[in-house]
Amino acid sequence: MIGHLSHVFWYELGRNFRRRGFLFATFGIPMIAMIAYLGYRLLNTETAASTPPPPMVQVDPFGSIRHAGYIDLSGRFTAAEGTGARITRYANRAEVEAALSAGVIDVYYVIAADYMQTGRVELVMPRFSMNLVADALIRELILRQLSQGVDQGVFERLVEPAIITQINLQRDASGQTASNFDTDFLMVYIFAVTLMMSVFMTNGYLMQTVIEEKETRMIEMLVSSMRPTQLLAGKILALGALGLLQVASWLGAVVLLGRLAATDQGGTLAALATLQLDPGRVVLLVVYFVFGYLFFAAAYGIVGAISSSMQEGPQFAVIFTLPAVIPLYFLSLFIASPDAPLPVILSLFPVTAPISMVMRLTLISVPAWQFVVSLGLLGLLDVLMIWLAGRLFRVQSLLAGHSPRWRDLPKLLRNG
Amino acid sequence: MPESVIQVERVFRNYGSFRAVDGVSFEVHRGEVFAMLGPNGSGKTTTMRMILDLLKPDSGTIAVFGGPLVDAARDRIGYLPEERGLYRNVQVIEMMIYLGTLKGLSRRDAQQRSQRLLERLEMGDQSKKKISELSKGMQQKIQFAVTVLHDPDLIIVDEPFSGLDPVNSLVLKDLLTEFKSRGGTIVMSTHQMTQVEEMADRLFMIHRGQQKLYGTVDAIRKQYAQHAIIVEGRGDWAALPGVVSVETRENGRSSAVLHLAEGVSSDSVLAAITSSGSIHIERFELAVPDLNDIFIRVVEENRL
Repeated sequence: MIGHLSHVFWYELGRNFRRRGFLFATFGIPMIAMIAYLGYRLLNTETAASTPPPPMVQVDPFGSIRHAGYIDLSGRFTAAEGTGARITRYANRAEVEAALSAGVIDVYYVIAADYMQTGRVELVMPRFSMNLVADALIRELILRQLSQGVDQGVFERLVEPAIITQINLQRDASGQTASNFDTDFLMVYIFAVTLMMSVFMTNGYLMQTVIEEKETRMIEMLVSSMRPTQLLAGKILALGALGLLQVASWLGAVVLLGRLAATDQGGTLAALATLQLDPGRVVLLVVYFVFGYLFFAAAYGIVGAISSSMQEGPQFAVIFTLPAVIPLYFLSLFIASPDAPLPVILSLFPVTAPISMVMRLTLISVPAWQFVVSLGLLGLLDVLMIWLAGRLFRVQSLLAGHSPRWRDLPKLLRNG
Repeated sequence: MPESVIQVERVFRNYGSFRAVDGVSFEVHRGEVFAMLGPNGSGKTTTMRMILDLLKPDSGTIAVFGGPLVDAARDRIGYLPEERGLYRNVQVIEMMIYLGTLKGLSRRDAQQRSQRLLERLEMGDQSKKKISELSKGMQQKIQFAVTVLHDPDLIIVDEPFSGLDPVNSLVLKDLLTEFKSRGGTIVMSTHQMTQVEEMADRLFMIHRGQQKLYGTVDAIRKQYAQHAIIVEGRGDWAALPGVVSVETRENGRSSAVLHLAEGVSSDSVLAAITSSGSIHIERFELAVPDLNDIFIRVVEENRL
């Protein structure tokens, strides 16, 4: 039993490892990403060394308005303090209109007579221009004058009452890290996409080998030497091992890229260098990969069994792949509220559980009961799907070159 | 009493409402070539698949090497299915080694045997080629080589000669003969009756799932023999005592079929010919039909 399985395992491992597509995806893509990043860094370093640093540019807090005027109908704002002499008070509308016509001012403001009750201020422009739609000058003037006699520190807090750092207690139950949306997004995205791509790619190969054996009529010769389940199990294990290798290669490249970025200017990518997952969480990630892989392996085995050609297989496979990627449509929700009802439901539902739980695990500590329910349901579905795949695999081996009709499947399963 | 390698007893198999195999029973003896005959769709392949445990019978029993087909017994069997093929983008030697190891050979042993067999098939220089680069006939020879690679005790070959040219058919026939001479047992399904006549010891014919013929090739031919003699030569055949009628054949060799009266033996007719001075005899044989005629006759009889 184990002997045959082992032969199939090693043979399929070698055969699929040597596929150009697998080698390129597993090692080529990370290498290209690394080379591209190093090239970018080299180019940046050379440019920095050969060109003098650009002059410091001071940002004008008042935008593109060189000079403004205002008239104060409320009688409350008499002096233009703190505005760098960029705003001039005019006595009436005729004077300010004349200044605008003469080009002395770019715009003018009219502070309403009931300003203290309503806060109304009009902005008058000679023509519409987005550059002139600005209120910084008049705000500064009003603030300065309204806060006369107020302490400078209090004034600054009045101007900017809250400089907010987001601490999400729901997401930081472990208390280990502070969250950052960009970094979280990147990590969740990388984990989810890595799992998804690896599972779909390696199981795509599984489906191809099943269909190939059917197309070439090789299958009958193989199952005369061993049980169909041994053949299927050997293939699943071999491609699962290749899937894990692929995940390790991609995640390794991501962390390495993060480290490289951290030695440079930092940024979102650099945050990956600090990625630290406790061993328990890593084990859970691997468990979900394995359970998810088994589900899709069985699903793709079934697709291979009922497909008659390489062209037909991927079309049937969409039945399983589309529901599986539903969690990715709600990526923002997963990041913002990983414990919201929808992420929890999706991480319990077996088809969406692998990707959903991996996304949540990257962000928070998931309650134990959710693991029990989620893994229990997924495990049960795995067993059912593998049984189904084994039966269909046995039946299809004798239907070389033919695709069974949907309505015949129950009968074939009974007779298999 | 010959040792049984396969025993099939009252086996039935249905596909839905269609009865593919209808209560057949037969035995295959060690060291013999056992031919399974029947028109397309008669139930031969289904019977072979049940012997190999690829399909379960609905009822009846099948014993291989004296019992149910366990994993160890599978390694003693070589199978060449009718619908056959190999991975396309794999080297010949790699393919053979893999299939050899699945039959219990070590990798090294499988490699050595594969190389020897390829040399024997005059394909030694093809071992590093991919399967897709070989002609269909060459691929078929590789498939047969894989069937006997692990030196099995029993091979089951379904239409082994189909698609082969006369030269390659002869090579394959030699390999089958060689396998038998080493004590191997062969179960062979074929539509080429000349091969059956030349190679088979016993045969089993199935039609519409039912057993129609079973026994040694000679016995079955005699069973279908007419009470007649085929002769070639010159003379008045009708004048011979015991001859009821003469059927001349226009085949350029002056042959005739002499139909004999009931109770008249071929020996007495031969004695009459030799004692007669007016008849020149070149050929004298019982009018036994060839298997092709018997096959057609059985099928026609069951069509009525």
